[in-house]
Amino acid sequence: MAKRALVLCGDGINCEAESAHALRMAGIEPTVVHINDLIAAPKQLMNYGLLLLPGGFSFGDEVSSGKVLAVKLRHGLGEVLTQFVAEGRLVVGICNGFQALVKLGLLPGSSDAAEALRQTATLTHNQLSDGHRPGFINRWVWLSVDNRNRFFAGLDRFMLPIRHGEGRLVVGDETVLTQACHGETLYYETDVNGSAGCVAGLTNPQGNVLGLMPHPEACVRADQHPDPKAAQKHGDGEPAGLQLFKNMAAMMDEGGRLT
Amino acid sequence: MNTALPEASPYTNSVSTQQFVYRVDVMPHHWASAKTVKPGLAGDVYAYPVYWFATSQPCGDFIERVTAELLIDPILQQAVVRDASHHDVTTWQLPAALHAKTKVSVRFLPGVTDNVAKTVESNLTYLNPPPDTRIQVASGMVYLLEQRLDTPDQLAYLLFNPLIERARVVHIDPNIELSVDMNFIGMPAAAPWHAEPISLDLDDRGLEALSQSRCLALTLPEMQTIQAYFSRPDVTALRQQQGLPAEPTDIELEVLAQTWSEHCKHKIFSAKIRYTDMSDPDEVQEVEIDSLFKTFIVGATEAVKPDRPDLLSLFKDNAGVVQWDDQTAVCFKVETHNSPSALEPYGGALTGIVGVNRDILGTGLGAKPVFNTDVFCFANPDEPHANYSRMIPAPAILLGVRKGVEDGGNKSGIPTVNGALFFDPRFRAKPLVFCGTGGVMPLKVNGKPAYEKYTQPGDLIVMAGGRVGKDGIHGATFSSEALSETSPLSAVQIGDPLTQKRMGDFILEARDAGLLSGITDNGAGGLSSSVGEMAEQTGGATIDLDQVPLKYPGLKAYEAVISESQERMTLSITPKHQQALQRLADKHGVELSIIGYFHNQGTFDIKAGDALLASLDLDFLHKGLPQMTLKAYWEVEPLPTIRAEAPPDLGVVLLDLLKYPNICSREYLIRRYDHEVQGRSVVKPLMGPLQLGPCDAAVMKVHYDRPEGLVVSNGLCPNLSDWDTYHMATNAVDEAVRNAVAAGADPLSIVLLDNFCWPDPVFSPRNLDGEEKLAQLVRACVGLYDIATRYKAPFISGKDSMKNDYDDGQNRLSIPPTLLISAMGKLPDVAMAQTSHFKTPGDLIYLLGTTNFHPGGSQYYHYMGWSNRYVPQVNVLQAHANYKRLHQAIMAGKLNSCHDLSDGGCLVAIAESIIGSSYGAHIDLTAMATHSPELRWDDLIFSETPSRLLFSVAPEHRDWVETHFAEYPLIYMGQVTDAPELKLDWKKSQRMLTIGADRLRAAWSQPPAQCWGRVPSPVRTQATDFGSADFGQVAIEQEGELRG
Repeated sequence: MAKRALVLCGDGINCEAESAHALRMAGIEPTVVHINDLIAAPKQLMNYGLLLLPGGFSFGDEVSSGKVLAVKLRHGLGEVLTQFVAEGRLVVGICNGFQALVKLGLLPGSSDAAEALRQTATLTHNQLSDGHRPGFINRWVWLSVDNRNRFFAGLDRFMLPIRHGEGRLVVGDETVLTQACHGETLYYETDVNGSAGCVAGLTNPQGNVLGLMPHPEACVRADQHPDPKAAQKHGDGEPAGLQLFKNMAAMMDEGGRLT
Repeated sequence: MNTALPEASPYTNSVSTQQFVYRVDVMPHHWASAKTVKPGLAGDVYAYPVYWFATSQPCGDFIERVTAELLIDPILQQAVVRDASHHDVTTWQLPAALHAKTKVSVRFLPGVTDNVAKTVESNLTYLNPPPDTRIQVASGMVYLLEQRLDTPDQLAYLLFNPLIERARVVHIDPNIELSVDMNFIGMPAAAPWHAEPISLDLDDRGLEALSQSRCLALTLPEMQTIQAYFSRPDVTALRQQQGLPAEPTDIELEVLAQTWSEHCKHKIFSAKIRYTDMSDPDEVQEVEIDSLFKTFIVGATEAVKPDRPDLLSLFKDNAGVVQWDDQTAVCFKVETHNSPSALEPYGGALTGIVGVNRDILGTGLGAKPVFNTDVFCFANPDEPHANYSRMIPAPAILLGVRKGVEDGGNKSGIPTVNGALFFDPRFRAKPLVFCGTGGVMPLKVNGKPAYEKYTQPGDLIVMAGGRVGKDGIHGATFSSEALSETSPLSAVQIGDPLTQKRMGDFILEARDAGLLSGITDNGAGGLSSSVGEMAEQTGGATIDLDQVPLKYPGLKAYEAVISESQERMTLSITPKHQQALQRLADKHGVELSIIGYFHNQGTFDIKAGDALLASLDLDFLHKGLPQMTLKAYWEVEPLPTIRAEAPPDLGVVLLDLLKYPNICSREYLIRRYDHEVQGRSVVKPLMGPLQLGPCDAAVMKVHYDRPEGLVVSNGLCPNLSDWDTYHMATNAVDEAVRNAVAAGADPLSIVLLDNFCWPDPVFSPRNLDGEEKLAQLVRACVGLYDIATRYKAPFISGKDSMKNDYDDGQNRLSIPPTLLISAMGKLPDVAMAQTSHFKTPGDLIYLLGTTNFHPGGSQYYHYMGWSNRYVPQVNVLQAHANYKRLHQAIMAGKLNSCHDLSDGGCLVAIAESIIGSSYGAHIDLTAMATHSPELRWDDLIFSETPSRLLFSVAPEHRDWVETHFAEYPLIYMGQVTDAPELKLDWKKSQRMLTIGADRLRAAWSQPPAQCWGRVPSPVRTQATDFGSADFGQVAIEQEGELRG
């Protein structure tokens, strides 16, 4: 069965082309759809098994990153989006897409359906524990992950690039963090942006919504690595980003839901 | 529901009489997170955003909802919503723990682009606004200071720029808290379009005064030409017939001034120049040059053309276009934005980068921007500098420009892949901000070459993107003058990357759908320039000002015509595509206006409805400009030769050089710029296991699934201009080519771009050495011709900026003559791309290229305070042969690393290759010293002879490499070692230096304090453990005939 993904574009999203390319490499058929076209006919979303919110600067990061996109999606897609998620289809937000998912409340998410779209955490300006604000950072970072997460199957310690100015996770209260980190979390190996618990990415309790600050679509070829020789030496074959997209394909084959 | 939301302007209706104002202060839950460091301000500073809403109906509930759903992040912030119409202000106290004594509200002046407000305003629709209510938004920042201040004057350029923002200062006191700034800044009312006749019945002084008072930047002969034209009987008769006044209208005069500006017409590069060479008093040479541009730039390209079938479109479009493969073409353009950046560094740099992006979008039928480059020349902010009127503090320039390029590139989704930063105190006169963009386009659209334009008479003129405001008026003419007290404030503006990103997405879709017959950007000169230029293709155009959408009312007619408001493109379409184009624009949320049509009547007409306001003969507009005649005078000034004993501690010298402002790491800039978006990136600015290894050039893929790599590099050496700009130019070209070759580019695939930034080269009483500066320009052009023709590297595009001076009537400062060369080349397979850091212990290190006595202008001599007339000179034939040979070795897969020798010379290059790696190197200078026996040891390792490259190869390739380079100047230098340290030996026996890689790295990585906003931990330079040998012994003191 064809695995189809809707890749959102428009309003300042800018990683749609390489994200679509990464999906294609992983055997998923991408359709790049402008947000205004999607909002004009929200039901088309149900033709897809995966909604990908790519990186970029939606609405120029004005007000705060991902915020205006979240408002537009909440009011423009409404129940179609909650239904899409409730059915166990996959939603993946990368960088600015992650910021929008957090501000929508889809991440860290809740096991209570009534709480589905309540914001309980945020991603904000990078600031290290010493108060230093590095601003926007483009650098490859070491990441580690709990292997129980299907999105990260076959990956435990790997590098991906980060390219953000607002990647610091802040939670409303500590229980949110404890619940969010249900063993299915992506961590920075060292503190790069002051993120709570060094969290680089999160899934919802149901395991079908993933958001992450690093850019997997920027690591689908060995030649993209800043140290290509080392990447070849240590890699288990696939570049880490491509592996992540292949995992999405495998999850779609099995109906999307994480068991 | 109409989901497409054009950025509706709040100003389209006349300003209503009734207005309700709300103010929303968005404050943090935890004040620590709002604490910021502002260089130059004592004590803590807390910052938070503030919004103003002006509504035509009371709608407090709606504003509360907007605040809760859109303006605040509930995890971090809370808001205070104040309603001014009731004067029923919620008193709100700042936490005492902040110790804040002064509250400063900063907001934009009327008419300045407010991107935050625009975003909020255009998304209110989703929150069910009350019906029939007009809502305007403004945004600002509140700063709380520990200092007690009475006026905002001390905060200028620290917290706000008075050219675009205003600040209001209040003392923090519970009673004064009521007096929050509740004013919503209104705009002037609309007035009908009007063209003002300007009498030219003036004497010469009157003409000059008119040019100056209207910021026309026209010379007396040019003003006289206009005067003569408008008094011609045929012209007067025609104007009478058209119902126009005999004298030109302000619109016509302004359109002529924009079109004839130095910025647009490059008058100095087109001038007739009499060049006198006095360098040899016995043989004075006089040469007449008819246009530097045609003779040397176009001339070089014409000479190379037979060898370059890939050249598609040169010197006529917004960017030069080169064939990439059988499906694709690539284009590249570099612009400068010096004058705007001098006055408003953030806005100037931002509009610089989005402006050159539009050049690419407007090349042929439109190209997709795929990379940006940025090169900055500044006065080092860590040093004290002159501070005259209107000069922005040097740190604020660097920080502002950095942020402007960051927002411009990152928010547009275009990677910033390559750049440079060069410091010289003379760039206090004007900072140089070079912004480049490369693009990709299909070779053909609808079966026709996509790199041409097809505008026909009858085609509609479409303006797409942003609206027209007072921002950016006189940009073209203002940049054609020295920076001064009277520089127009309106030339300064802020860009809007989001509007432009939407417009770019729209344009590329419209291109692929075959809807466009032509396109160009609205940059310098605005509609006057974009429509005026496109009209040349059909032979005429008419625009109707009533159809031009405005940001706000109150513009004069001429202002609407020449405004350089950003994010606008001018398109031409056949009328049948109008609906399809509109549908596409609606989808992307892009505003379109049909503002006129092209014809072949030979005129550029500007109307308001039926009334004709201006009509200019196209032939006069584009060809009526008289050619300038200038004099250039070249005399060699003897420069002193200063040199002493070599310094005793080589370790100290090396570490200090690595820290040197023009050598040290640019990581603090590089990390701020997204250099990987679009997924094409292969060689990034910093590579290797530590992501520290500086790369000579960027390598990226044009197509994801094909192996070829696009290589981008640059060369710049204003430090040589004081000696001879001929060598400055050849060195810049060599550096750009050498960088590209080092990364793997085929030397025969390289194309070049030239960007001249010169001090005013026209003699005047305020510019007594103008003729010498012109001679420097001539010599640089000759240098370019000589090297480009021998490297077979054509110029595909370029630009010049000729008035880089500061002059307030008393103080005059000038930049050193500066030439940026940008290069683009092709690497057949990105798997062969080279990076600078050493890869494997045991690898053999070689130097390709002879080292000569070239200390003039070198970083080492600068550091030592020495001087010498022998500046680096390029041996073009040998260099090009070396590059071609090296490329064969790269493509044979024999190299493990490759790095060019540049500022700091050989030893700095070796150190950089170690810094980027996990290893060290054991170097022995024996072979190098034997190859260049006349050099003292310090000249050997610090001389900056061009065209040299350092590379490493696996030991098994030793025979292959030494055979391959048998006839070439290849010098064995040593081996990569497991031990992370640099060991340097002299003639096998004497250890000159042992120094740990960590110390090299620490020195090189130490950022200038002012740039990073964080004082780095001091890295102290200590004496190193190098041996006791007296290297003064091997010094060669005779400096006679060492010219290489």
